[in-house]
Amino acid sequence: MAESSARDWRPTLQRRTAVALSVLFVWVVGIEVRLVYLQVVRYSDLAARAERQQSRTIEAPAKRGDIIDRQGRVLAYSVDAETIYAVPGEVENPDRTAAAVCGALEDCDAKDREAIAKSITARKGKYFAYVRRQVWPDQAKRVAALQLDGIGFMKESRRTYPNRDLASHLLGYVGIDNVGLSGLEATYDSFIRGRAGTVLVQTDAHRRAFSRVERPPTSGAAIELTIDEYLQHVAERELREGVQYSGASGGSAVIMDPYTGEILALANAPDFNPNAYRDAREDARRNRAIQDLYEPGSTFKIVTAGAAFEENVVSPNTIIDASTGNIRFGARVIYDDHNYGVLTFEDAIVKSSNVGAIKVALRLGPEKIGDYVKRFGFGRPSSPDFRGENPGIVWDATKLTDSALASVAMGYQVGVTPLQMAAAVSAVANGGELVQPRAVRAVIRDRKRVAVPRKVLDRAITPRTAATLTEIMEAVVERGTGTRAQVPGYTVAGKTGTAKKLVNGSYRGHSDYNVSFVGFVPSRKPVFAIVVVVDSPHRVSPYGGVVAAPIFQRIASAALRQQGVPQTIGGSPLVVERRNDVDAQQTSGPVSSPVVTMGSAGSSVFPDLTGMSARDALRVMAKMGLAVRLLGAGVVSEQTPAAGTPIDAAVTAVLKLERRTPEAGAPSARFPARWGGEADEERLARP
Amino acid sequence: MTAETFEYAIKKDVRNNPIVREVDRERHRDMWRSALVGGFLVVVLLFSAWQHFELLRHGYRLEQMQRERAAEEEINRHLRLEIETLRSPSRIERLATGRLRMVAPQPDEAEVIERVIPVPAPPRSVVARR
Repeated sequence: MAESSARDWRPTLQRRTAVALSVLFVWVVGIEVRLVYLQVVRYSDLAARAERQQSRTIEAPAKRGDIIDRQGRVLAYSVDAETIYAVPGEVENPDRTAAAVCGALEDCDAKDREAIAKSITARKGKYFAYVRRQVWPDQAKRVAALQLDGIGFMKESRRTYPNRDLASHLLGYVGIDNVGLSGLEATYDSFIRGRAGTVLVQTDAHRRAFSRVERPPTSGAAIELTIDEYLQHVAERELREGVQYSGASGGSAVIMDPYTGEILALANAPDFNPNAYRDAREDARRNRAIQDLYEPGSTFKIVTAGAAFEENVVSPNTIIDASTGNIRFGARVIYDDHNYGVLTFEDAIVKSSNVGAIKVALRLGPEKIGDYVKRFGFGRPSSPDFRGENPGIVWDATKLTDSALASVAMGYQVGVTPLQMAAAVSAVANGGELVQPRAVRAVIRDRKRVAVPRKVLDRAITPRTAATLTEIMEAVVERGTGTRAQVPGYTVAGKTGTAKKLVNGSYRGHSDYNVSFVGFVPSRKPVFAIVVVVDSPHRVSPYGGVVAAPIFQRIASAALRQQGVPQTIGGSPLVVERRNDVDAQQTSGPVSSPVVTMGSAGSSVFPDLTGMSARDALRVMAKMGLAVRLLGAGVVSEQTPAAGTPIDAAVTAVLKLERRTPEAGAPSARFPARWGGEADEERLARP
Repeated sequence: MTAETFEYAIKKDVRNNPIVREVDRERHRDMWRSALVGGFLVVVLLFSAWQHFELLRHGYRLEQMQRERAAEEEINRHLRLEIETLRSPSRIERLATGRLRMVAPQPDEAEVIERVIPVPAPPRSVVARR
């Protein structure tokens, strides 16, 4: 009995083992089947899902290229900014969140607060709503510190203009999505914008990144402008003051290098801040220098005179009878300001006689006038750098009646832009070549600079005619209508213009004028061609010689001083002339100065120049006819050869200059006593 | 308890002390070989795991450093922007004429002794990194 019961457990164990093994087998098979299902049947789907969860592809936005002036100073720049967004479903109280965000931003008014709350509420069922785009890092930090539910941040690139309204019309502005909307930002958008890159980031379960594969973004090309930041500032400052003083509604000023066509400054008033272009009025955003047409008035007599000289119709001394003081075309009578009597053609231009210019134009005929109008570049866009440039209005010469021809001769019935006028006057200044105006000097991509070449569009007049016109324009400034454009120490050539505006198709019934001055300086070796146009001055006599010429004068004075252009009348001769070549620009440290021009010989030994200013030392050496090389800046601290060494004409003296700290009690060199020097020095030292 | 159900359990005295298991050297070698192989596999496994975690750790570190570099670069750009803003000619002029009461020199107070004639760079040139 006991034996049998002892043997009974074996089949039981066998049964149970079989059951357990069966269960295990089923379990293993089940698992295997599931694994096969997951890893074979649903492989692609699940792999894709895992990829989505473990890795993120982030777009790396490309920064727009910088825009710099001709000296390398930054005019437009891009930096990272934070964009604040909301996940509307996670925001419990949109009003409270909007108020909190607004409070932290600190530049948010009630209207903005409402807009934010409305944006979050309207997208309640969605996952994304913009709260504020492209805020500064400190603003983002303040908002982040609030730790608001449903508020997130992402990086975007923001375009900034560090000089605010400087050259705003020329630079233009970009939209919120970094696309150029106006000015050079729009014209050169494809160059500046660059190409976005991608970053593939692998993350762990906590969404922390531990690996990345990058296709870096390609930065946009940098654009080097022909503009000089300081000249631009001067042009804007003087134009703004002139417009305010004369009670005008606006104005434009263009400074051009007459030989290269480089636009050194292009100013408009009113201007705007491109960092906040949406706040600016449409009127302020308009680039008047390239978009606004105006009838140039008497400044256009340069074209009439140029054509007449070219075609040998008159010479400067040809006698013109303007004694009637008017000229009649049917019912239309055109008057001069005064009765000038009988005068030479030169005087007709100098005194801006309409009758004189018209009589010469009638001798020329409409075809020839029309030909020269085109040769001077009117009636077509002058530069490819400006999108939306107004080509101007020029009538078909064959359809011009005598009356219309008379209008064209004195600058009416033609529509020109200040930029076209600058190109035309540059043609006179450079000896007759119409050079294409340009605002872009070079495009720099991957450290390679590709310069934009000078382009001659046409030969407007011969050098001989240009020289004759220059003489007449000098007379305009010396004794004619443009005396207020005189720059002491320099010869100036110019022409005034005053044209009644055409308002609602009529010249009558209002007192709006376009007044202008065009000219170049120094007249015999021009460095700057300058055009100033003022729209509707009301506070002063509306004449080009009264309103625009003084603006020209102030711009030219400051520009000549800043560029170090030596005086052409009565000034001391230039002591040093330096070629600012590429090697010198790229070398750091003191730049060696060039050799001084030879003068007359004097003493037999080198003088002691120690302690002298560079200017005084150069004067002494120049008088002795010795060559000098300067190193550094300040006063002379060392000289080679030493003082007392016998002079050898073949030796170039080297003067080492150093800045000297003024001794206590010594008069301030920077602030002469007549400017209240010492008091100002104290003020300077105060934090 | 009846006599039929009573059961005696007589334990046989087994004396196996003198019996000694014979050392199987072959098996010993096998065992050590297996242990070594197993240990080697474990070491390989541990090394592989260490490598994997080191890679991860460096990945995190690299990522962190790249973020820091990007942040530093951005701070640099913001500082440059600030410098350019401070160098604005209108701001400097405002400070000079307003706070420092400076004035522009008159023509007779300024004398040009040196003129820099800019020479254009060659049409195609390489620009030094700014």
